[in-house]
Amino acid sequence: MSSVTIWQQIEATPLGTTIAEAELLFPTIETVHVIALVTVIGVIALMDLRLLGLVGGSKSVAAMERDTVPVVWTAFALALLSGGLLFVSKAATYMANPYFLWKMGLMLLAALNMAIFHLVWSKGMADWGRPGHQVPTAAKLSGLLSLALWMVIPLCGRIVGFTLGVYY
Amino acid sequence: MEWLFDLTEKLRGTQLVEFSLWVSDWPLAIWLQSHFLAIPGFQTLHIIAIAALFSTVLMLNLKIWGLTGGDQSLEAAYRRYRPWTWGALSALVLTGIVLLISEPVRNMVNSIFWMKMVLLAVAIAGTFAFHRSVRGQLATWEASPAGHATLRSGAIAVTLLWCAVITGGRWIAYAPV
Repeated sequence: MSSVTIWQQIEATPLGTTIAEAELLFPTIETVHVIALVTVIGVIALMDLRLLGLVGGSKSVAAMERDTVPVVWTAFALALLSGGLLFVSKAATYMANPYFLWKMGLMLLAALNMAIFHLVWSKGMADWGRPGHQVPTAAKLSGLLSLALWMVIPLCGRIVGFTLGVYY
Repeated sequence: MEWLFDLTEKLRGTQLVEFSLWVSDWPLAIWLQSHFLAIPGFQTLHIIAIAALFSTVLMLNLKIWGLTGGDQSLEAAYRRYRPWTWGALSALVLTGIVLLISEPVRNMVNSIFWMKMVLLAVAIAGTFAFHRSVRGQLATWEASPAGHATLRSGAIAVTLLWCAVITGGRWIAYAPV
């Protein structure tokens, strides 16, 4: 008796086979994914660069956060939805790919970094940038980590595209 | 999709075939082809460059639509984002040239690649014209952000143009051959 993994079962669902078999569906969803992820990465970087004090100094950190957070969440929801659909069509192949697993792990780390920033480091953010109030070092490091993670995450994603047949 | 086949077929009859084969013998092309991380690495830099371009275009356009940037003037938003839009464009073109050299035949003898190049030219011209129009309306905008229909529609048009360029980029890999 051969054991069928949950990932193979996901692939075999009507949704999975439809996306895998329709010629134009996969690249169409991929396109939505790219537009969404490019927005996520770029807008997060605007916030990170502001935290680091490298650019956008005329704008307060709090105002930059108000501007960027809703855009990031909207685009992230779209990236998650499109990414989920791509995943369903080749679930077992992706789960066997170490670069895909790295990508998921690093995204989890980025989410954790962001959650800690909002729960802990962002206290007193309204004052940051006012005379006598610097951006705390912990918040700057959090921005730097975010910037680095969001560069490595798309790299892992791109490598997945080149190694799909290698591991499975 | 028949006309895409026909366009690729026409490209096969041009000097581009010989030219792209010649480029694929360049030392840089051979280096890129023989290092596993080189092509995904430059693709990632290309993606980061379009991320910087697209997000700064989007943020300026959201400001024009009154959805963000309530704390500052249009001029401040324009000055904040404009240099990044054009700086990212140069990074985009540079990494794009490297990617073109990495797979010359796949790109140059490809109908979708050339459609992307046309879209890119239109998007650059459109963004340039849009920025000029923003500059021209900064004073009247501060007096009252109402009206300014050309800016509002221009903002949407520019965003859609860059989405079209991104779409072209993704579909190069799916060109009918």
